[in-house]
Amino acid sequence: MPAGPVGELQVVGHRLPKLDAPQKVTGQIAYADDLRMSGLLEGAILRSPHPHARILSIDVSAAERLPGVRAVIHAGNVEQRRFGYGDDNLPLKGDKVRFIGDEVAAVAAVDEETARRALELIRVDYEVLPAVFDPFEALEDASPSIHDELPGVVGNVAMRWDFDDGDVDAAAARAAAIVEGMYSAPQAAPAPIETHVVIASFSPSGHLTVWSPVHMVFMYRKALADCLGLDWQNITVIQPPVGGSFGGKIDIDSHDFIAVMLARHARRPVRLVMTREEEFIGTRTRQPIHFRLRTGADAEGNLLFRDAEVVSDNGAYNAWGSHAMLVAMSTITSMYRVPNSRIRCAVVYTNKNYGGSVRGFGNPQATFAVEQQMEELADALGMDPMDLRLKNANQSGDVTPQGMKITSCGLSECLRIVREQSGWDQRRGTMRDRHRGLGAAAFIHVGGGARIYGSDGCGAIVKVDDSGQVTLISGSSELGQGSETALAMIVAEEMGVPIGSVQVVNSNTDIKPWDVGVHASRTTFVAGNAARLAAAAARDKLLATAAELLGAPPAELRIRNGMVEVAAEPDRRIDFARAVRRRLLREEGTVVMATAFYDPPTEHQDKEYRGNISAAYGFGAHVAEVEVDPGTGMVRLLNLWTAHDVGRAINPMSCEGQIEGGSAMGAGLALSEELVMFDGQIAAPNFHDYGMPTAVDVPRIVVNLVETVDPLGPFGAKGVGEAGIIPPPAAIANAIADATGIRPRAYPMRPWKVKQWIDSGERSHVVVAKGGLDDG
Amino acid sequence: MVDVFVPDTLDEAVGFLGHHAGAAIPIAGGTDVLVDTRTGRSAPEWLVDLSSLPGLGGVELDGEVLRLGALTRIRAVELDPELQRRAVALVEAAKVLGSVQIRTMATVGGNLCHGTPSAEMPPALLVHDAVAEIVGLGGRRSIPLAELFAGPGRTTLGPDELLTSLRARVRASSAGSCYLRQTVRWSMDLAGVGVAASVEVEGTTVTSARVALAAVAPVPLLVGSATETVVGTDLPSEVADEAGRQAAAACSPISDARGTADYRREVVSVLVPRALRIAWLRATGAWPEGVPAPVNGVWTEEDL
Repeated sequence: MPAGPVGELQVVGHRLPKLDAPQKVTGQIAYADDLRMSGLLEGAILRSPHPHARILSIDVSAAERLPGVRAVIHAGNVEQRRFGYGDDNLPLKGDKVRFIGDEVAAVAAVDEETARRALELIRVDYEVLPAVFDPFEALEDASPSIHDELPGVVGNVAMRWDFDDGDVDAAAARAAAIVEGMYSAPQAAPAPIETHVVIASFSPSGHLTVWSPVHMVFMYRKALADCLGLDWQNITVIQPPVGGSFGGKIDIDSHDFIAVMLARHARRPVRLVMTREEEFIGTRTRQPIHFRLRTGADAEGNLLFRDAEVVSDNGAYNAWGSHAMLVAMSTITSMYRVPNSRIRCAVVYTNKNYGGSVRGFGNPQATFAVEQQMEELADALGMDPMDLRLKNANQSGDVTPQGMKITSCGLSECLRIVREQSGWDQRRGTMRDRHRGLGAAAFIHVGGGARIYGSDGCGAIVKVDDSGQVTLISGSSELGQGSETALAMIVAEEMGVPIGSVQVVNSNTDIKPWDVGVHASRTTFVAGNAARLAAAAARDKLLATAAELLGAPPAELRIRNGMVEVAAEPDRRIDFARAVRRRLLREEGTVVMATAFYDPPTEHQDKEYRGNISAAYGFGAHVAEVEVDPGTGMVRLLNLWTAHDVGRAINPMSCEGQIEGGSAMGAGLALSEELVMFDGQIAAPNFHDYGMPTAVDVPRIVVNLVETVDPLGPFGAKGVGEAGIIPPPAAIANAIADATGIRPRAYPMRPWKVKQWIDSGERSHVVVAKGGLDDG
Repeated sequence: MVDVFVPDTLDEAVGFLGHHAGAAIPIAGGTDVLVDTRTGRSAPEWLVDLSSLPGLGGVELDGEVLRLGALTRIRAVELDPELQRRAVALVEAAKVLGSVQIRTMATVGGNLCHGTPSAEMPPALLVHDAVAEIVGLGGRRSIPLAELFAGPGRTTLGPDELLTSLRARVRASSAGSCYLRQTVRWSMDLAGVGVAASVEVEGTTVTSARVALAAVAPVPLLVGSATETVVGTDLPSEVADEAGRQAAAACSPISDARGTADYRREVVSVLVPRALRIAWLRATGAWPEGVPAPVNGVWTEEDL
């Protein structure tokens, strides 16, 4: 249902602090690590020191004899089944280890120190095998085979993502300009402040309760049951407040299974907390992806084709990272109007920590390639890059080559805003003598759910008690992104009550209705629509009762600020809670409660990767301004202008926070963050060396919210959670190119890389089809 | 478990360290020691807490001689108004060390004695001709600061010895200095390359100069050849560049997660001339007082 104009909204569109902010800033909130329970044991995991080795034997006898040790487990004494796409993983490795950090054994003991001492007493004999770290080397015939136990895996290729639309070769033949080049994205980490943590406890009757800051709780529960042979009816998952995830805690990981197995063996509750080092070494990373991309256009600047050969560096096992191409592909085919496209992608196993889901999920990587080529192509055509973008911008009503139906679309407006604010027309290309430059990048990202599962739905229950308090029980969870507040605002708006009357319950699988989980920037859109539908149904029940009290038909009533009033005569009104009590406190009374389940009208992609995967798409554009020190290669990010089509800002303050936070993360990806690795060993698994930006590194960020009022979004809202992180690596690379004339090929653009590109004269590779070959 | 011994006097501290040689290490601000013990890089049985010993802190000036107590906090160096005029390299090095919280705890002596090749204080003090004053069971001795460093994480101090103070030369006029560094982040980072330079002039002619480097050798490095090149000149760019090339030839960087050896050597050849030029502009009064060296290294002399 289309939402009304902003002026009529009482709660939505207002700047409200997050509901949980007071608890968080005063330190009163209890994260998983703050939970206390009697008899709780501390767990610890023995990890492989080798990137690739066969496990010959494990001797745990000395560890078991250590006083205070309650359980020592390894593949030889537990029941576990394979998990992961293609069943390529085991919680505790039995045959081989495949990266430094792979789980081999685990201990539960009375305290952490005893548990760590016990790990030192476990003796594992390994036969060290040749390892491969470079995905291109892993594709060679002579490379070691990482999953030789899986007959379906040939040449270390975990999966392929190939796509064809139109005729790329014919389009290339008539192109006036073609640019081509390699663009690489590194292994980076979600790096939440709260490391991964899980507590598992069995009741005497065998009911398992797990406390975990996971955000796809229902799939998590099923995965626990499947892998460990448990009855999933007998599992409760409770999600304590999440101290940061950024995608890293999206679903299940080896240590979750290990905690449950330890609790089962020890017959006591067990907690596993990752150390900071383990967080970097042993939890999921952002998938490194390498793109060889070509883009071509005609002389007028109409895009003709994109052609990509992609190698996605999977690491040792398939987790979500193996599917980062799902999003990377949509950017290659559907960012701007591209009439012909071809993608050949291999997802390749290597002996490294493996990729998971991290904010942006493949999109910063792909945008780094696609949006650099937009500026390279514009330069080759003698066009302004903004003009090239506007000429080819996606518009409402478009259907992209993958079948994505573009409904609300503010891309052109976003481009025009950042162009204007950055002084693009006056300043780009004019500041090279000061080593300054401007660069832009836009993005497309799912903003109305993403159908990757049978349902993309979310359940909601709204109940109103006799005090007038409204409780939303949502299937979806809060990760710190502010969704709880947005959902409460949607309910308050729909019911006509103040925000203070609304509570949100969302942390227990026994209570909350089913939801896919938090991912794909879907919560405001999908859980918001579910909450709005349930709130509307509860409101209608209430209005029916109020109608009796006010002597007017329900259609003539409205609720404002907690009062039910006759719309035409606002003085005829009663307190909202009175209507609730009227309905409840009588013979044959009923509670005011309503349920809803919202599953967006979307399609599963078919085998050729076509289908309208999301009910809405988010768009936006950034312009970055940098200053480059040509002597050292150091890059200073001076300004970032951003404009995001959010459909409607439910809570503008929260939207701005998400965009600023995402932009800061994107700037970190662009310039400093990397899990630097030597021979499979992460060189420095700590915050000091990882390179997360500090407040000093984050520039002034200007945020513009463009409200296109999406036809299907709740009050017109679209997803915004991931968006901010997507354009910065590309925009900053383009700004470095403007400042120096060189063309960045990989991020993070750490000083020595920039210096190397400057010294070697790394340039765009431009093929001018109509005028012969020109390399530069 | 680690035990902590809190001595009341310097003699007591030295006596304890001597008695528990190898098993006891001194701790002052703790910003390096506590990280080392936690990560297992060092595993002492005893920490000897120096932080309450009297007489080891403070910044004192006597003519051209600066006396800097080993327990002086980095933050105190950063904020000292006299040092801001006379020892700009030292203040600039202090400003970029860790965070305000770290600088408030960390001490000058700790930064020197930890032996980190990339540490900020060593090059900045080396270009001010610092002398280290040391006390041990055998009494007191003084050595040029350069002789304190033995290798990554190692000094020439005996197990019973403590650095008590530094003496450095800080002229009030006709002198200037500068500290520049290359990092990945713009704060909270270790130097990939650190460069300090100091210059003394008569008129505009260089009478004395020092160049010191961090993070490009096993120890902080004083580059004699570079300074000889610039003495007697008005430090034109060509001469400064030549000094940069000599410094690059003198260092021996390694390749690691913070950059390759070749890159580091090249950055030395870029930052040394810049630091020398800024120091010279400061010595000749051409650089406005209180204006920091540009963090991005990009400035033109027309900007001044």
